[in-house]
Amino acid sequence: MKSPNEKAIHRVVIATGISSIVTQLYTIREFLTLFEGNEFIIALIIFNWLLLGGIGTLLARRYPGSNHGIDQLGKITFVLAGLSPLQIILIRYLRDILFVHGSSVGFYPTFYYTFFTSSPYALLIGFVLPLSLFVQRAENPGYSGTTMYIVDNIGDVTGGAVFSFAFVYILTPLKALFFTNLIVIVAACLMMRRARAGRCSIVIFAVVSLAANALGVLVERPSLSTGEGELVHYEETFFGRLVVKKSSGGVTLFEDGIPVSSSENLIMAEEAVHYALCQTDSPGDVLVIASVSGMMEEIDKYGPDTIDYIQLDPAVSTLEFRFSLLKEVPGLRVIHQDARAYLQGADKTYDAIIMNLPEPETFQVNRFFTDEFFAIAKAGLRPGGVFSFSINGYDNYLGESQRLKISSLYNTVQRHFDHISMLPGQKTFFICRDSPINEDITDLLRKRNITTSYISGYFAGNITRDRIGYLSDSIESSTPVNSDTAPYMMRLVFAQWFEQYQTSPVWFFSCAGLFFIIYCFFITKEEFVLFSTGATLMGSEILVIFIFQILFGYIYLKVGMIVTVFLAGLLPGAFLGQRLRGMSPRVLILADLSLIILLAFIVLVLEIGGHGFPELLFYAVAFAISVLSGLQFPVALFLRGGDNPAAVRTFSADLVGAAFGAVIVSSVLIPYLGLVWAALGLIMLKTASIIVVRSSHD
Amino acid sequence: MIKISRRQFLITGAGTLLGPGLLDMLCPFTPALAQKAPKDIRGRIFTSAAPEELWKWSHEGFLYEKLERDRVVCGICPNSCMLSPGDRSICRSKVNIDGKLYSLTYGNPCSVNVDPIEKKPLFHFLPKTTAFSIAAAGCNFRCLNCQNWEISQVRPQDVRTSELFPPDVVRAAKSSGSASIAYTYSEPIAFFEYMIDTARLARQQGINNLWISNGYINTKPLLELSGVLDAANVNLKAFSDGIYRKLNGGRLEPVLNTFRTMHEAGLHFEITNLVVPGYTDDQEMAEKMCSWIVENLGPDHPLHFLRFFPRYKLDRLPPTPVETLVKFRQIAMKAGIRYVYVGNVPNNEGNNTYCHNCSKLLVERRGYHIPVLNIEDGRCRFCNTKIPGRWA
Repeated sequence: MKSPNEKAIHRVVIATGISSIVTQLYTIREFLTLFEGNEFIIALIIFNWLLLGGIGTLLARRYPGSNHGIDQLGKITFVLAGLSPLQIILIRYLRDILFVHGSSVGFYPTFYYTFFTSSPYALLIGFVLPLSLFVQRAENPGYSGTTMYIVDNIGDVTGGAVFSFAFVYILTPLKALFFTNLIVIVAACLMMRRARAGRCSIVIFAVVSLAANALGVLVERPSLSTGEGELVHYEETFFGRLVVKKSSGGVTLFEDGIPVSSSENLIMAEEAVHYALCQTDSPGDVLVIASVSGMMEEIDKYGPDTIDYIQLDPAVSTLEFRFSLLKEVPGLRVIHQDARAYLQGADKTYDAIIMNLPEPETFQVNRFFTDEFFAIAKAGLRPGGVFSFSINGYDNYLGESQRLKISSLYNTVQRHFDHISMLPGQKTFFICRDSPINEDITDLLRKRNITTSYISGYFAGNITRDRIGYLSDSIESSTPVNSDTAPYMMRLVFAQWFEQYQTSPVWFFSCAGLFFIIYCFFITKEEFVLFSTGATLMGSEILVIFIFQILFGYIYLKVGMIVTVFLAGLLPGAFLGQRLRGMSPRVLILADLSLIILLAFIVLVLEIGGHGFPELLFYAVAFAISVLSGLQFPVALFLRGGDNPAAVRTFSADLVGAAFGAVIVSSVLIPYLGLVWAALGLIMLKTASIIVVRSSHD
Repeated sequence: MIKISRRQFLITGAGTLLGPGLLDMLCPFTPALAQKAPKDIRGRIFTSAAPEELWKWSHEGFLYEKLERDRVVCGICPNSCMLSPGDRSICRSKVNIDGKLYSLTYGNPCSVNVDPIEKKPLFHFLPKTTAFSIAAAGCNFRCLNCQNWEISQVRPQDVRTSELFPPDVVRAAKSSGSASIAYTYSEPIAFFEYMIDTARLARQQGINNLWISNGYINTKPLLELSGVLDAANVNLKAFSDGIYRKLNGGRLEPVLNTFRTMHEAGLHFEITNLVVPGYTDDQEMAEKMCSWIVENLGPDHPLHFLRFFPRYKLDRLPPTPVETLVKFRQIAMKAGIRYVYVGNVPNNEGNNTYCHNCSKLLVERRGYHIPVLNIEDGRCRFCNTKIPGRWA
């Protein structure tokens, strides 16, 4: 039977687990809003968080043990509950103290900033789990490390689910943290009823912690008003943070800190619409994938029958219409769906498809610039229809990375269309169709009696024959095409990003590699198994989410469900592992083999396209990978003897492995080698794990 | 029930009540935050970064001082880069090889275009003509919003170039039918030697020379250059030394000195000012800037307020509201500047030229098209007032 203290500690661990996951997810969102949101940065932030957690766990080895364990655990829990909102406030506050307001800062500053600002909380959260175990064991020496792992996972799964399916819909970050940490504070107070600490100090800790959370709620909105313009709207959606600022009649919509739509921006609207639409005789049905402010009026000049506007985030289109960034025009229908999934399933075809997506710097957006998507877009067009899209432009010189990006896109899209024109406007526009394209846009507009403000006056001077020729001549026919499974564009986007800041990731990867080598030198073989499992779990989660998006589109709830399933499988896995631990080495090998089979299945899906597979199968794969990963923890811990130092090191190996899995799969394997090789890389890692286990137990 | 002493109660209570309030007061989430952060982003010399050998497009520096131990000091711009052998200048285009200063951008432009002169922008100089525009790699600034960073923030060997030595440039300009050659895009001060030699040759051949620059140049080379220039557009990025240092990596005073020098030399020049939200959109700053222009340069040099769009590293700010630009135009005209324009805003009244005397429309601009031009022999067709600039 559980002792009252055991129950109380479990409550604290679960509450802290919930809070830590919610804090982690909001911290990541905060960083993505304040810095770039490319895949490299996302991986970097997750890497920092997990690595620091792993280091924090390792630091617990130095914990001397104490008769006041519950006191210490309670106080640290209060500190964690208070640190959680303070961390978010600090991250917002320091951003403009250390960096020029309004600027992006590049890789290393982002790395240092994310590392140091998240380190107090992440180190402490890593430290507190083994501490909870030590405190339990101080009272009950037979207490199992696996039980603590399971209890912690219950908290993590709950936190993930609460965030994905509740908080993200109804609460802002600091309010969500307030409610989450309230539970932590209550749980800690209940636990400390039996502690030796003075009641006064408990009250002080609890009150200060609560005050920090209250402060968070109070400064939440002011902390977003850091710059120019009046903050007129703030909203957190499941896709990110939306802020609308107004200044001297100008309205700008910011999505995750980036100005994505501004009033009075006729130039972009005209370029996005007319270069494509003036090519068609009579655009009856027009599909718009993501918008540019002011573009509906421009499309309306052609008098189309219907305009289908696809916007993934309903909140974005609501704000666009509310703040007059877009105008309701006859025939307009707004569709809130993943555009790729829509086009794949739509019966309707179009005379024109105009895509205005941002640069393909995440896997999610890259899906719209691939060979496979261009085929889908082509299928969605009627004969004589036109498809247009754009990427960042250049003014007077085409940089090398941009040249390769344009080349890759040209080589990719030309597999599907007979005629492609590239127009070097504010952005580089690709106009694609099977009929010839007339690049004399002003003449076409004049013949149709369509008036424009920008194109009529500036096109001839800005997009000259020479400039169009320069762009066409710059195309490198040998540049690889961009595909779903080999996202070459991602590599180029990363290269350009590093070029822009005149840095290279070499130092980062050299240091990470050195850390890895030193770490491998010190860990045991069982820890290596857990390290590889952590990496495989994280890597396969990224792979499964990416493949799911390719096949079924980005559907928030479903992607959130995959993330939850990946966490949820750890629990039954750990239960099962607890029962099977007597068969130790064989279980580890069998689990590794099973993981390899599942990864091989992922490779198979990638190779054959995977369109016939039901969604459920991906949840099943995610669950199975998670169960197998969870299963290995108790077995490895058992093999290591299960004492406190062993528990610390096994907890840590899992986290450090996950950190490396995130960064290697996201920023190296997928962009540079493609999805298939990323999966094969994980298979190789697991094979190495089997060899290690076999060599140690033969 | 938990019992605590009165002292403990007071401490806890005060902490609870005052904590958030105090922190809130201390919490500096205010627009003034933009005034904090790094104070200076000025560039640094690149030590041991010169190529081992000179290449075809190397040319000894126009103006530099030799020091002991083979060190040299470049005299072109106020950065005054002191380079030891093997070092590279802040602008990346000058190196010290064996105690001599060399420019690496002589005859190898990376960007060559024929542009309408209105694009520079130069609104009071030969309207409706084109400018043969060239740029070589390098810049002595580090502007966070640079729209040409791919050529301004790189070394000459990092870009694809064409070979066009000064006589070739003049020939190409002539055959393109351009009335002028514009030294532009990146920063022509970084390819000063190439620019001045080309400009001398162009002048001999009757082609005008246009200097589109940040104006961060020393007086001596500027005077030399002014002798062969016909017009210039110099960017007054902010009327604040702090903002110059923070957003551009330069200083204000040398730029102001450039304006004074050009004015005294009688050169036609126009001024551009990019209105960056949160930085240079301060009305008081605009008023001070306009007063300075009137007092020091007179009312006749056209001033262009340009709309900012997020670019390069400064990509998290909104575009400038058009209303702000219109307001700034009014401020400048009220201060006494006669010709004030609004740029990067199509079809705005501020694109046109109105006579400062009779207020009639002199030049209507629709982009680069000029459907109405009411200036004859440099004078207003309606009231015969002389309009500053060169019109034919």
